[in-house]
Amino acid sequence: MKVCSVKYLLAEGFRNVWKNWMMSIASIGVLVLCLVLTGSSALLSLNITNALGEIESKNSIKVCLKEDVDTDQAMAIGEKLKNIDNIASCEFYSREEAAEKYREQMGAIFDSMKDRNFLPHAFHITLKDISRYGETVEKIKQVEGVDTVVNRSELFEKLTKFDHFVSLAGIAVVLILTLVSLFIISNTIRLTMYNRRFEISIMKSVGATDWFVRLPFMVEGMIIGIISAIISSIILKFFYDFVISCVEKNISFFHTPFSDVSLPLFFSFLLAGIGFGLIGGLISISKYLKKEGGEVLGW
Amino acid sequence: MIEFKNVSKVYPNGTNALKNISLHVEKGEFVFIVGSSGSGKSTFLKLIMHEEEPSCGEIFIDGIDITKLSKKEVPYLRRKMGIVFQDFRLIDKMNVFDNVAFAMRVTGASEKDVKKRVPYILGLVGLQDKSDRRPSELSGGEQQRVGLARALVNNPSIIIADEPTGNVDPTMSYEIVELLSEINKRGTTILMVTHEHNLVERFKKRVVEIDEGHVTSDNEVLEVGK
Repeated sequence: MKVCSVKYLLAEGFRNVWKNWMMSIASIGVLVLCLVLTGSSALLSLNITNALGEIESKNSIKVCLKEDVDTDQAMAIGEKLKNIDNIASCEFYSREEAAEKYREQMGAIFDSMKDRNFLPHAFHITLKDISRYGETVEKIKQVEGVDTVVNRSELFEKLTKFDHFVSLAGIAVVLILTLVSLFIISNTIRLTMYNRRFEISIMKSVGATDWFVRLPFMVEGMIIGIISAIISSIILKFFYDFVISCVEKNISFFHTPFSDVSLPLFFSFLLAGIGFGLIGGLISISKYLKKEGGEVLGW
Repeated sequence: MIEFKNVSKVYPNGTNALKNISLHVEKGEFVFIVGSSGSGKSTFLKLIMHEEEPSCGEIFIDGIDITKLSKKEVPYLRRKMGIVFQDFRLIDKMNVFDNVAFAMRVTGASEKDVKKRVPYILGLVGLQDKSDRRPSELSGGEQQRVGLARALVNNPSIIIADEPTGNVDPTMSYEIVELLSEINKRGTTILMVTHEHNLVERFKKRVVEIDEGHVTSDNEVLEVGK
């Protein structure tokens, strides 16, 4: 293709965006909405997964030893526990520490019992893989000297299920929104195309090739996509920071800072925007390229 | 130049628009095509422009059988012809200059050529002073002259005018056909579909009458080329 043609096609694409500014704003609006929604659900999903991971890692299993186990024996048991696979960490929690904690929490009532420490030594254990909870607990119980394992499996199961649910729901939301966006964008561009069917019919009648008819619309779609990506990224940054600050007033949790995801997010938006613009443009124009003469105009 | 050999056209809905037509138009001829509505005139033009393909028969333009053209070759065929529409089909968002330049630009012409050629063609149709106007600011006759300028700008060897005077008052109609005659004298083949018998009688050109898909009369005697 000649250089002057490339220049013409690019200029024409920009001119189209400008000349059909109402349609362009409508397209950009829809695309921004879809990108922001998709981005928000991706960020929500990411943060919930992070938060769950954090809760999981903090959630330790308490393994209480038999009352007659002394500190040395307890250390030996600790070694055995550490050797069980799927154990991420194993912290010793002595009966003195336990007693101290109770005293802090209960105060005076506990003071009367301070000489008779009936609390057992214990270990706080965290697991590498929560889903293997039951199996690991069985192994712990088999270690000699272990009295009870404080059963929190229900909570773990619920957490794991919720995590799965959030991941799946996140993917589903993103997929659905992608389809919705594509549908809306191709329809918006089709509307633009409908407004310009006249020009298309003239282009065809004077012998413009199909690519020459198609390209300005694709350039136009790409420009709309790029503008939308920039606007969406900015909106999402402010929206995200706002939501995080609101949530953090109530619950403090570890969140992914926007700067960590801003680049990949922006480039995905850019790709998505350009992709939507291109595909939307192609889908909508193909209908007109198949037609000839008056058919393009619907006569 | 243009040759139809036993061409028939049946549309998918069963309409038999053209029935075994054979016709030869020499280079440099001016041909009026007349006939009532639904006689097959439009189908005849559509076949030449390759907007429709014949059900059987062959159509040659410049010695090339256009029924055998691939989809990609069609635009290049259309660059050999300039089309003038009854309803002008000008883009009102663009001024007169850009409307004419549009036809050059979409075929990949350079801006330098556009700037040289468009004013020349606008001068030819007498609109050099109106290049900044919007089509809607012009009279019907002037709009059709813009349409004619657009058809001419790519230097086609054939002009196809589909009732170019249909939306123009009688005086202007006469001027437009006069302009087409001028263009014809420079060697461009003209095919003009019309309903206006007074124009046909006045200009004494070859007249092909189509009725119910047949060529019912053809006064080849008056050909300009002979």
